[in-house]
Amino acid sequence: MDTFLAALFSGTSRGAIYALVALGLVIVWRGAGVVNFAQMGQAMFSTYIASALIQNGNSYWVGFFVALFAGSILGALLDILIMRPLSNKKKTELLSSESMRAAVPVIASLGILGALQALAGIIWAAEERGFPAPAPQEGFSVASSIMPFTSFDLFVISIVAATLVMTTLFFKRTGVGLAMRATALNQEVARLSGIRTNFTRALSWAISGAASSLAGLLITPTSNLSPNTLDLVLIIGFTAAVVGGLDSPAGAVLGGFILGLVISFVTFYLSPEDVFISILGVLLVVLIVKPRGILGGKDARRV
Amino acid sequence: MLEINSLTTSFGSVVALDGVSMSVQESKITTVIGANGAGKSTLLRTISGLEHPAKGSITWDGKSIIGWKPEDVVRAGIAHVPEGHAVISELSVEENINMGSLFRRRVNKKDVAAALEETYHLFPRLQERRKQLAGTLSGGERQMLAISRALVSRPKLLLLDEPSLGLAPLVVEQIIDCVNTLCRSTGLTVLLVEQNANTALGVADHGVLLALGKVVADRPAAELKADSSLRAAYLGY
Repeated sequence: MDTFLAALFSGTSRGAIYALVALGLVIVWRGAGVVNFAQMGQAMFSTYIASALIQNGNSYWVGFFVALFAGSILGALLDILIMRPLSNKKKTELLSSESMRAAVPVIASLGILGALQALAGIIWAAEERGFPAPAPQEGFSVASSIMPFTSFDLFVISIVAATLVMTTLFFKRTGVGLAMRATALNQEVARLSGIRTNFTRALSWAISGAASSLAGLLITPTSNLSPNTLDLVLIIGFTAAVVGGLDSPAGAVLGGFILGLVISFVTFYLSPEDVFISILGVLLVVLIVKPRGILGGKDARRV
Repeated sequence: MLEINSLTTSFGSVVALDGVSMSVQESKITTVIGANGAGKSTLLRTISGLEHPAKGSITWDGKSIIGWKPEDVVRAGIAHVPEGHAVISELSVEENINMGSLFRRRVNKKDVAAALEETYHLFPRLQERRKQLAGTLSGGERQMLAISRALVSRPKLLLLDEPSLGLAPLVVEQIIDCVNTLCRSTGLTVLLVEQNANTALGVADHGVLLALGKVVADRPAAELKADSSLRAAYLGY
C-alpha cells in the first residue's frame, strides 16, 4: 500500500511538471502555430539565472520570481526578434510549398535550443550543478510514521494547481485571454475584429516561457541542472501534449498527469529501464485509438 | 467617403482586380455585383488590408489606407464581414460579439456594453443563445452573429461579403432588411457584395457591376436593375 501511495504522489507531482511543459507547448502551438523545441532550452536558461542569483546570496524566492520574469521576457523576445521576421510572407516566398514554410520556425526553434545550450555552457560551464528546493525533499512524518510523499511534492502539486487555475481564468475571463483564444482559433477573423495578433502571439510566447521556466525550477531540484538536463523533460512534455491533443490546453494537462503517473508506477513496480518503452506504448495506443489525442480536435469544427 | 482608384490585386499570375475605380457615398448602400470570380471578394479583402494591392490607391476619410494592417483598418472605422458566415465556432455567441469591441474596451467601456445591447435588440435570437457555442447556430444565425461582431466595433463603413450565401430566401430577406434599416436609421455606410443581384440592387442606392476584375457599369441601382442587356451579358439571366 505504501509503495502504491508513494508511486501515486511522486507520479502526480512529476505529472504536474509535465503538464506545465505540455501546456507551454500547446499555448505556443495554438497561439503562434509553432512547435517550439527551444522551450526547455529557454527554461534551462532562466533556471540558470535563478541558480546564479541564489549562489550570489539572494534568497530562493528572488531567484524564483526573477527566473519566471526572465523566462517570459526571453519567450517574447524570441518571437519578436526571430519568429516574426521568419513568418513574414514576402521573405519566405521562395519556398515552394506551404508545408516547407511551416517548417521554417520549427527548424529555427531547434537552432535556438542549440544556441541557448551553448551559451549556457559558455557562461556557467557545462557541468552539472545542484538546484535548491524551497521545501524538504524527505518524506515528512506525522505521528511518528513517515508519509509516502515529501513536502516538496506538495509544494509542486499546489503551485502547479494554482498556476493552472490562474491560466484558465485568464483565458476564459479576461479580454486579453479572449483575444488570445480568438487569434489561436482563427487569425483572420481575429484581425478583422481589430485584435493585434502580433501582440497576442508574443504574449503566448511569454506565457509559455514563464510556464516552462516554472517547470524548470520545479524539476531541477531532483534532476540537477546542466545545459542538457531538460531535454528529456521536453521529450516527455511533448509526448504528453500529443497524447492529450496538441490542440487542447486541457488535454495537455491531462496528458502530463497520465505520463507522470505511468512513469512513476513503472519505476516503482517494474524498473526504471522500462520507462521509455512504456511511454512509447502509451503514445502508440493513443495515436492508434484517437489519432488527434484524447481531447484533441473535435470534428464539429468541420460543419 | 471611400475612394478607390485603379486598384490592381493579383495572386501570382492571376489578376483578380484589374484597375478598379469606384467610390462609396456616405450613408448610402453601394453594392458590387458580378458573377463568380469577378473579383468581388478580393475587392473587399483588399480594402480591409487582408490582401495587398500591386497598384492603385484606397482613400478613406482623406487618408490613404494602402498597406494598413487589417486590425488598423477596423480601428479606423471599416468593419469587414467576410464570406461564409465567418464566426469562431469554438467560442460562445457572446464571446464572438465581444471580440469585435475588445479594442474599444479601455477607451469607452459604457459604449461597449451599449453596443452589445443594441445588437441583441437587433437580433433577439442571438441574445437567447448568448451562452451557446457559435458552432451550434444555424447558417442565418451565424451570419447575424458575424454582422453583430462587426457592428459592435462601431464602424462608419460596413463591408458585407455575400451575406446571402447558402441561406434560405426568407432569412436573406430578414438580414438584408436589417442592414437596410440600420443604414437608413443610423446613417451607417454599407458596401454590399452580392452574387444575388436582384436582392442587392433592390436595396442599394448605387450599383457597380464587376466582370473579370474590371468595372463594366457604375450607375444608380435602379438604372442597373432595369438594364436587361447588361444583366443578360454579365449575370446570365
